[in-house]
Amino acid sequence: MNLLVEAFGFGLVSMSVIAIAAVGFTMQFGITNNINLAYGEVMISSAYVAYYVNRAGISIWIGMVAGALFGAVFSFLLNRIVYSPFIRKGTSQIGMVIVSLAVSLMIANLLLPIVGYDYVSYQNSTGELIHIGSIILTTNQIGIMAVSVALMVLIHGLLKYTRLGKAMRATAANPTLARNCGIPTQRVIDAVWLITGALCGLAGVVAAMNSDSFAIVNGATFLITVLAAAVLGGAGQPYGAMIGAVLIGLITELSAAIWSPEYKEVVAFGVLVLVMVLRPQGLLARRGAMAAAG
Amino acid sequence: MNLYYGANLLIYAGVDIIACLALNLQFGVSGIVNFSFIVFQAVGAYTAAVLSMPNDKAFGYDFQLYVGGYQLPFPIPWIGGAVAGGLLAVPVGLVVLRKLRADYQAIALLVTSVIANTVITNARPFLNGAAGLALVPPPLADQIDPNTAPYQYFYVGLTILAVVLVLFVVNRVVNSPYGRSLRAMREREIAAMAIGKNPVRLKMTAFIVGGVIAGFSGALLVGFIQFWAPSVWLYPETIILFAAIIVGGRGNNVGAILGALLVPVGFEEVTRLLNNAPLGLPAGVVPALEWVAIGLLIMGFLWFRPDGVRPEPRRVFEGGPDIE
Amino acid sequence: MSEGSTTARDHQPLLVAKDVHRHFEGMRAVDGVSIEVPRGQITGLIGPNGAGKSTFMAVLAGTLPATSGTIVFDGRDITRLPPFMRARTGLVRPFQLPSEFARLTVLENLLVAAQDNRGDSLFGALMGKRYWIEDERRLVKQARVLLKRFGMTAKESDYAGTMSGGQKRLVEIMRALMLKPRLLLLDEPMSGVHPKIVEEIQYYLQDLRSEGITILMVEHELHMVERLCDSVVVMAQGKVIGSGTMASLRKQPEIVDAYLVG
Repeated sequence: MNLLVEAFGFGLVSMSVIAIAAVGFTMQFGITNNINLAYGEVMISSAYVAYYVNRAGISIWIGMVAGALFGAVFSFLLNRIVYSPFIRKGTSQIGMVIVSLAVSLMIANLLLPIVGYDYVSYQNSTGELIHIGSIILTTNQIGIMAVSVALMVLIHGLLKYTRLGKAMRATAANPTLARNCGIPTQRVIDAVWLITGALCGLAGVVAAMNSDSFAIVNGATFLITVLAAAVLGGAGQPYGAMIGAVLIGLITELSAAIWSPEYKEVVAFGVLVLVMVLRPQGLLARRGAMAAAG
Repeated sequence: MNLYYGANLLIYAGVDIIACLALNLQFGVSGIVNFSFIVFQAVGAYTAAVLSMPNDKAFGYDFQLYVGGYQLPFPIPWIGGAVAGGLLAVPVGLVVLRKLRADYQAIALLVTSVIANTVITNARPFLNGAAGLALVPPPLADQIDPNTAPYQYFYVGLTILAVVLVLFVVNRVVNSPYGRSLRAMREREIAAMAIGKNPVRLKMTAFIVGGVIAGFSGALLVGFIQFWAPSVWLYPETIILFAAIIVGGRGNNVGAILGALLVPVGFEEVTRLLNNAPLGLPAGVVPALEWVAIGLLIMGFLWFRPDGVRPEPRRVFEGGPDIE
Repeated sequence: MSEGSTTARDHQPLLVAKDVHRHFEGMRAVDGVSIEVPRGQITGLIGPNGAGKSTFMAVLAGTLPATSGTIVFDGRDITRLPPFMRARTGLVRPFQLPSEFARLTVLENLLVAAQDNRGDSLFGALMGKRYWIEDERRLVKQARVLLKRFGMTAKESDYAGTMSGGQKRLVEIMRALMLKPRLLLLDEPMSGVHPKIVEEIQYYLQDLRSEGITILMVEHELHMVERLCDSVVVMAQGKVIGSGTMASLRKQPEIVDAYLVG
């Protein structure tokens, strides 16, 4: 029983990490209707940026900001330089998947000669252990959860209350109509890539913080978990991604406690397949990709 | 030219050609974006290996642990490999190819490839995990000594036969009314249904036939290199084959062969040259740059020449009006 | 079979839909529609926008499942049959735009629709050219006859994707004919087509009727309906509000008010 409660605690941290990543990923999908397979590599690159900042003696929490900035700029450029031109050219949806896969390979392999194959980790004190009942968490992990909750609140605020958020939802639902209504679609799209890119970068740093060590190879495995959460919640639905993250976080940590920690991604994969077979539209499927809940 | 080097080149070329012909059938002709292709080649290799190897105890305690070990003579392991490729295609196809939209299918297959590699790596007693299977007996090893020159000729001949066989089968399928139905389904699935085509059946058939050929290519390769491990079939290997199809030309066998020669074989050779040239590059840089080049190649062709070097030919029927 | 029963069968409607419902997300797009489509005639399906006509056609074709009700095609209950099977039994719905096979030639677009080609199966393909070449030649001839009839002989080797809108319509009609259909479901066959081609399509539809093909056609242009259709079914808000000849319908004030203006 204690084991399960402990796993639940880990699940809370896990879901916080996954939520940041999944919300960003699903928003990118919502606005472009294309799956950005390079998302995992951008996450990992940002984790490395934070690593180098950290190595210079700076706190990893500042490094997190650096990672977020890097993710934002990188994703923005990725869309402007690669994805947008291909989309404008009329590349099919499948063509875009292949392009994003090619990009992900390129990013990973451009990084490899620079950062090497070895696993690295951040230098930060894990902080004291906090006991909540049988749940034992470090202050770091609580910090991660706090960051995640804050971001979810910010995203909710963005989507529901700001003009940009409303414009994003409109553009996601019907780009041509949005443009005809005077919404500057290009700027909205740029804003989405900057914001989701920041989320992606942040998620990468936070995921790396939550693991003992990381390396380039983790990019693909991060992506599977993110995909599982996003598809489970409903592609393009940010609130769905949050729900998906909660479920995937819990399920994977419970399975790690009961079964084996090596197979966390396999469990996430299993969930992904189940969702695709039983309910491919996900939990919060709705017409119009970024409809706010309620 | 060194005989062993030449044989190596020809055999790899043969394997790549066969793999590309299979992927072309699935992707180029039928429109199935099989991002898990390499898994089917792997299952063929593993099957051929465990069918032809002796029981794992024979290697001394705990050297390698794996299932099977029936020490069956050639060509049974190869047939087994081909069958395994086809059998694997059944559950994978039934799960993925039925109601999902095309890009979901693609990522489901991609993720399958990543996970399959992880699972095999971690489940040691099954197929010896990360270390893989070594000392796989080459076909007819007791008739001809594998370490001699005549064996090289033999294996090259075997490869050529294999290529001819696969080409024969694939050609018949692609250049037939059935191939036409596959292409129609690729073009517009809903319209194909409106004229009576069953898209699930068509896709499953292309997927299974492609799987059989992929498994066969794995058996052919493992018999030569006598070794097979997860590091050989990581998910990006499929992308090289996709690059080959995109570069060579989709939807036609000539394009697939051309792509196989240009991309996997071409790159292999260029890497070898660069590795031997005294450029003073740190280890690992050349393969990494190779992948970058593959990515650029894919994007370049999708941008400038999506139909590839040799596009799908237009079918003209005899007895029609004169074409200028 | 005696003379009497053959004639009796000929008078049986080819398609009978009974109390068909199609509900989705709280909307009753098709709300208890029952119609009978007489054999060998052109029947029109008219009504204001949003009446549920296209939805009903989709249910008949099988691309949307019926929430309830039955559909009987030539005596056979096809309510649960998937769309591709309905096409094989002779119930064909062309013009699901866009629907040409772009990277197949015009001739190939026709050939691919044929049901009776021995080479159109894995087994047949593997058996080799000699096995199916006879069927192929016969079908090429058959297709060329159609091409000639619709004036597209010169285009046989052009990619269907490069055809103009009107030509694509003709390709779709020809393709449907290669299927040897018994009932054609046409959803606004004339919309978005150049007026000259509209004339041609009308003639072709009349030709098809004279060959014994039954047609059920959704159409907005009432003078077209007047010219082509032997009888008409009027739908509004998911229900059938009247049926019969245009002349008899004009005599019913509710229908005139609801829809027939001029």
